[in-house]
Amino acid sequence: MQPISGEFGAINTLNGLLNQHPISSLHNHGQLPQFDPVDDFLEQMLSSPAVYPCADDHSQQQMEEHSTSVLASKLRQHQINSGAAKALMFQRQLLLSTGLAAGNGAPRSPTLSDHNDGIDGNGFKSIQENDASIKALFNGFTGSLGQISNQSEHFHQPQNFGGAGIATPAAMNEATVSGSSGGGASGQPRQRVRARRGQATDPHSIAERLRRERIAERMKSLQELVPNANKTDKASMLDEIIDYVKFLQLQVKVLSMSRLGGASAVAPLVTDMSSETSKEGTSMSLTEQEVTKLMEEDMGSAMQYLQGKGLCLMPISLATAISTATGNSLKINTNSDAQAPTSPTLSVLTVQSCGNIKGDAIDQG
Amino acid sequence: MKARMQMSSSVVKQEFFKKWIKGMQIYSAFNKEMTIMERKRAIKLSADVAIASTRSATTQWSRAVVADVSTSAAGAARAAAEEILGRKLPERKALATTCSKKIVRRSHQRRSKAAARGVVRSSAAIAKKLVRNRTRVLKRLVPGGKKLDEISLIKETLDYIACLQVQVDVMRHLAAAAESLDHQQISF
Repeated sequence: MQPISGEFGAINTLNGLLNQHPISSLHNHGQLPQFDPVDDFLEQMLSSPAVYPCADDHSQQQMEEHSTSVLASKLRQHQINSGAAKALMFQRQLLLSTGLAAGNGAPRSPTLSDHNDGIDGNGFKSIQENDASIKALFNGFTGSLGQISNQSEHFHQPQNFGGAGIATPAAMNEATVSGSSGGGASGQPRQRVRARRGQATDPHSIAERLRRERIAERMKSLQELVPNANKTDKASMLDEIIDYVKFLQLQVKVLSMSRLGGASAVAPLVTDMSSETSKEGTSMSLTEQEVTKLMEEDMGSAMQYLQGKGLCLMPISLATAISTATGNSLKINTNSDAQAPTSPTLSVLTVQSCGNIKGDAIDQG
Repeated sequence: MKARMQMSSSVVKQEFFKKWIKGMQIYSAFNKEMTIMERKRAIKLSADVAIASTRSATTQWSRAVVADVSTSAAGAARAAAEEILGRKLPERKALATTCSKKIVRRSHQRRSKAAARGVVRSSAAIAKKLVRNRTRVLKRLVPGGKKLDEISLIKETLDYIACLQVQVDVMRHLAAAAESLDHQQISF
């Protein structure tokens, strides 16, 4: 049994009740970890006791089913009498003691399947605080989606009937009243009266609502910044934001690779054309060394380097053809090094340096 | 926050531009001839530090950028950054990130457990999952976003996007101006 420090006397009595019967056979309800449709499980729990595979004697079986139904009814009673918190503690007790991953008193909470991932994680693990916080985050996230209004409906039923074995009551309260601005939320299941729209009485719900409003207003200001951001739901808004940030970061990267600066502002960074043509003879070997070094690591950077100098790579045959055909107005760099990639298959030309060559002469494979 | 957002963008642009040029000049003072990759790194680092310093450490991402530079930069980069920021960067050894095996294993277990069921969840759950995944991606993109909660993450993203826009705008203008300048020179 789960030794929950007996906050409520009722729980202790139930503990006693449970202890009387060997519950171990209930654990052999083996298909549990795979289940998921909650309603299947419910049917098993409530309607067909013969499902218990290992009940040895009938009396035991009956007592078990009796105990489960007793539990269920006591659960409901408690929920009607006590607050939501107690009911949840109680219910958690029920669930954990029977070793079941999720218990739902409500025969019609099939729509709780959206809670299943949380439930399944919770059922057997003791790391419930993490889940609670994650759940709260989820609820907060989906709050501004407007989908929470659907969820809140579903939450109400389960909470009234003893909904899902979520870790802490706080999480449940948040989940329940998360639709407070979007749909009448109630933090008081005992009266089963929903608070009016936008008038949640629970401090949790108020905090939750504030938080969601803050998120919504920030999202709205983001909408103005990001183009194409007329989406209403959070998931696609986030998608747009992500794409835009990636795009901007890529632009910065590309721009920092481009040719920056002419003679004046950032001249030391780039060797511009004028300085290049002036020291033509000596810089040639330097250029070649640089280019070969770059070619070893990355062809792209080598080509960019050449572009930066206003040079281009071309097959030797083309170079000789051009140099004989045209005059001396072009600066042609022919890499005749051994490892130069001036194979017949490679020809890269920049627009600047070969501007007056006819286009079709260049298009060689 | 509102006051900061209303600061005129042209002021920010000028500030960024000046700091950026300053940084690049320091770089060029260190070595005249740079390869393309070195040059790209110089430009990018100067730009990043410059745009981060326009926020003067009021935002999380700017602090993260500066911290990142101060751990990984050396030599010319460090000098440029210090010049832009106007202060000395603390010497900091890059922390080797160790990962506790238990935590990793546990998180994998949980994820595989949920995945093993193979159940089609409701649309709301799918939406939640999408949102959660995308938030994770966004946290990775925005510098320093890993430790932020949801609300401040969105706030930081807001500021970060605005500053990125400024950065791209100025850089593009400079690149275009340089391009036209080069064309003029060629035609002479």
